[in-house]
Amino acid sequence: MNTELSPQESLRLIEGMIGQARRSFSRMSFYFLLWGVLLIAAMVVTYLLRDGSEGWQNGAAWGIAGALGGILSSIHGARESRRERVLNPMDGTITALWGSFVITMVLLIAFSVVNRVDATVAITLLTGLPTFLTGRIMRFVPLQVGGVLFWMAGVAMLVLNAPLATLVLYCASMVMGYIIPGILLKRYEDGLRAA
Amino acid sequence: MGFAPLDPVLHNQLRLAVVSLLIAVDEADFTYLLERTGATRGNLSVQLTKLKEAGYLEITKGYKDNYPNTRCRLTKAGIKAFERYVKAIKGYLQ
Repeated sequence: MNTELSPQESLRLIEGMIGQARRSFSRMSFYFLLWGVLLIAAMVVTYLLRDGSEGWQNGAAWGIAGALGGILSSIHGARESRRERVLNPMDGTITALWGSFVITMVLLIAFSVVNRVDATVAITLLTGLPTFLTGRIMRFVPLQVGGVLFWMAGVAMLVLNAPLATLVLYCASMVMGYIIPGILLKRYEDGLRAA
Repeated sequence: MGFAPLDPVLHNQLRLAVVSLLIAVDEADFTYLLERTGATRGNLSVQLTKLKEAGYLEITKGYKDNYPNTRCRLTKAGIKAFERYVKAIKGYLQ
């Protein structure tokens, strides 16, 4: 790999290498799959435990899912960072984006539990933001589509305004917005790692 | 107006590939560069040393999970040199 380069070859080489490096993100599929499963479980449990008047105000399932997800994500993140072979500045941006999302979510859920209001619509609409932006930053279309689906599901929940519809829409948006993109992202990451 | 001379340190396929990879990231380790460039270990080591001697590369040797780990990042001089090189190359193409 030490041959003389023409200007065109130099430019092609530069573009090719920069393109490769920009796709070198940390593996994120694990988080989408983990949180997708945990949040669907939390939503189903919350729905099943509802007692009519204040069923949606039961924040226990969300709290347990959040704590479990936080612990597992931290363990996985620490393990992955030891394996990381490249530091991409965009990784920091994505981490900050999801960090600010988590802070907003925690405050929103705490507020909804204290005030006995259902935050599912707000959570769903809010989830669209980091999902869509992560897809944009990574240029990964399934996550962008997932972000849009969260927004659509949130609007549909508002329009339908029924607990069962909210449950179905939330679970469907999690499957379409987190789990399916997570599976596709895992395949993409495995492909990059093998390349 | 004549063509701007090309930096001989960067005008080499492997060294240019390494600098192009590192321009897009904060830092990368030796194995990553090895995989992405398809170079041999020996050749990559030699070219990294040349980039370091030119002041374009900072090499940190350490350990990761009890294994030796070499991490590389471009210096400010390396980034400037790359920018000058790209400008010069574009001049040749116009």
